[in-house]
Amino acid sequence: MSFRKLAATVGAALIVVGACTGSSGAGNGKGTVKIGVDLPLSGGEVANGEPTFNGVQLAVDEANAANAAGGYKLEINKQDDAKDGVHNPDQGATNAKTLVADAAVVGMVGPFNSNVARAIIPVTNEAGLAQCSPANTGVDLTKTGSEKYRPKNPNQRNYFRVATPDDVQGPAGAQYAFNDLGKKKAYVLDDTEAFGKGVADTFQAEFERLGGTVVKRDGAPKSTTDYTPFFTAVKGQVDVVYFGGTQVTGGGLARKQMVAAGMGDIPYVGPDGIADLGEGGAQGAFITLAGVDASNNVHGTVAGIHDIPDPAAFAAKYKAKFNKDPGAYSALAYACTQVLIKAIASAATAPDQAAIRKAVRDYVFTTTNKFDTVLGTISFDENGDSSQKFISFYKVDPAGAGGKGNWVFVKQQDFATTQ
Amino acid sequence: MIDSHLVATLTQQFFNALTLGAIYALVALGYTMVYGIIELINFAHGDVFMVGAFVALAFLSTIGFTRSISDPLQLILVLVGTFGVTMIVLGTIGVGIERFAYRPLRNAPRLAPLITAIGVSFILQNVVQAWQGPSPVPTPQLLSPQVRFGLFGADIAVLSIVILGITLALMIALQLFVGRTRLGRAMRSTAQDREAAQLMGVDINTTIAITFFLGSALAGAAGIVYGLYFGSIQFNLGFFSGLKAFTAAVLGGIGNTVGAALGGFIIGFIEVGAVQVGLSRWSEALVFAVLIIVLVFRPAGLLGQQLGERA
Repeated sequence: MSFRKLAATVGAALIVVGACTGSSGAGNGKGTVKIGVDLPLSGGEVANGEPTFNGVQLAVDEANAANAAGGYKLEINKQDDAKDGVHNPDQGATNAKTLVADAAVVGMVGPFNSNVARAIIPVTNEAGLAQCSPANTGVDLTKTGSEKYRPKNPNQRNYFRVATPDDVQGPAGAQYAFNDLGKKKAYVLDDTEAFGKGVADTFQAEFERLGGTVVKRDGAPKSTTDYTPFFTAVKGQVDVVYFGGTQVTGGGLARKQMVAAGMGDIPYVGPDGIADLGEGGAQGAFITLAGVDASNNVHGTVAGIHDIPDPAAFAAKYKAKFNKDPGAYSALAYACTQVLIKAIASAATAPDQAAIRKAVRDYVFTTTNKFDTVLGTISFDENGDSSQKFISFYKVDPAGAGGKGNWVFVKQQDFATTQ
Repeated sequence: MIDSHLVATLTQQFFNALTLGAIYALVALGYTMVYGIIELINFAHGDVFMVGAFVALAFLSTIGFTRSISDPLQLILVLVGTFGVTMIVLGTIGVGIERFAYRPLRNAPRLAPLITAIGVSFILQNVVQAWQGPSPVPTPQLLSPQVRFGLFGADIAVLSIVILGITLALMIALQLFVGRTRLGRAMRSTAQDREAAQLMGVDINTTIAITFFLGSALAGAAGIVYGLYFGSIQFNLGFFSGLKAFTAAVLGGIGNTVGAALGGFIIGFIEVGAVQVGLSRWSEALVFAVLIIVLVFRPAGLLGQQLGERA
């Protein structure tokens, strides 16, 4: 049948074409290397993932233009770990396997969420792929308890991050609530997920250490749609509420219903899952979910520096390229990429891609190496934690962005000196 | 000496539980009616409830009422209009689903319509997700939850009372319809014995279609109430709420409309009670534990009786 012959010919042609384009990336010396990216990029997570990805894109494009990667051309292998609009650990693990299997990938940036990282690190650890997260704050990813994420190579570290871990972020929130806001009686609510519960635990411990009282501590599973009973139970007994979790796992809805229950003038404090810095109206942003009317008196922490050494310059080039203001983690993702690029440049004489991958990992984990990044000069300790431990504090301005509501910066603090 | 603050809190929680239970009850009624008449667990019912919430949102946006309304007469008119339009639209959708997804399989092995129902559930979710996006969407709270009155020291939202009133009215209307009208009698007889009913001149197709219309209309009403009370809806709302409503229907005795309402309120009280005593992390487990215990001792549910059978 002539159709069959036609189909066979087309099929063969496609295979040949595929083989040709596939091989152009491989090869020794100065070819192309890729930086893998795994972030939640669709649905409700767009507010989190897209500005972060743009930070990576910006760094890669600049490095290519300046030929700053030791003579290699950089490309990005982009993977989305959001499923049905929410970050998904299984999807993250699948994406990690894809990235690891791509021989041209010599380092990766991501993920955004700590529970996704727990699924990804075993995969990248087995392959020895250097992995930088701009936003993971889960303490057990690098500190005590991290061995279980490195089953194949327990003594070889490959995961590092530029964000400040929750054992700093939670207590930072507690100090802010106790000292800056002057509140002594807290209600702590978490979303029962690993990140939310973790940061709520550290908040509670610090708040009590400072002398405050945690009047009630609850966990609201993801299926919760009615937070009214939660707030009814503590009405009149608390002067601050801390929500451990993100805007899409209940943080936005809880605030909305808290205000509906008549507790709007009680401040609501949350970690970086709440302070997404998205303005009202943006899809999946906290202010959109809670409603701008309910977003007054809302405060949040971000696990990273705000006043980077030259914020205006970074914002300007970000805006020039993407026509928007940078997001909370854009600069952090940019810094992750800068670190990887410097490590790639150090591997300029590596014989093949597998060797580049190994060299990148070794370079990052040489603790004496310093990296000049947009965040300042940083280095990484033997666990992969950054030498910078900044927490930035923000609050919502309901009148901002023309009445839609946006976040304004309050202050930042480097806990590296006060730990 | 009773702590007056505790009394106030418990009063408030009581109304919270009633309101939450009322929403579950409304959705549970649809599950139980469909099961009673064609012995199908309509897994798509929870998503019909979700679609109802979005249809109400679309209607309110179209007629331009997206903020709270202070004039009581205008509020009543808008509510009546919203309920009327949404319930008719959802009833029609329900009939459509029955006609095209379930009727062709009426004589097929029981598994086939069950799988189809799951398929319809996914289709509804995907359509809404494509239409409105995957993130939560704010809904107009026509009667602001901030309008409150005092009772035993607690601040009760007028909205809660309105919702309870609407729900009870709908449930009573349903009971009267099923118990007193000719069509209702046709429904009961079809549920009891389909072939005998057919022999007695009952038009089975129409009767089943009416059952789906009513059940879906009630789910639509529940969707409106949900949007009014919680102020936020999402495409996957049907999954969790539908699961709890289905549990309510089974708890009360699947096929029994009073049982479904009772089950809905029981689950509402269990959930709110769990939060009050600090066991909120276990609320889902508690609900299902209660279900299992009830079924162990009363396998047909608390009021286990078929829609058609009388004692």
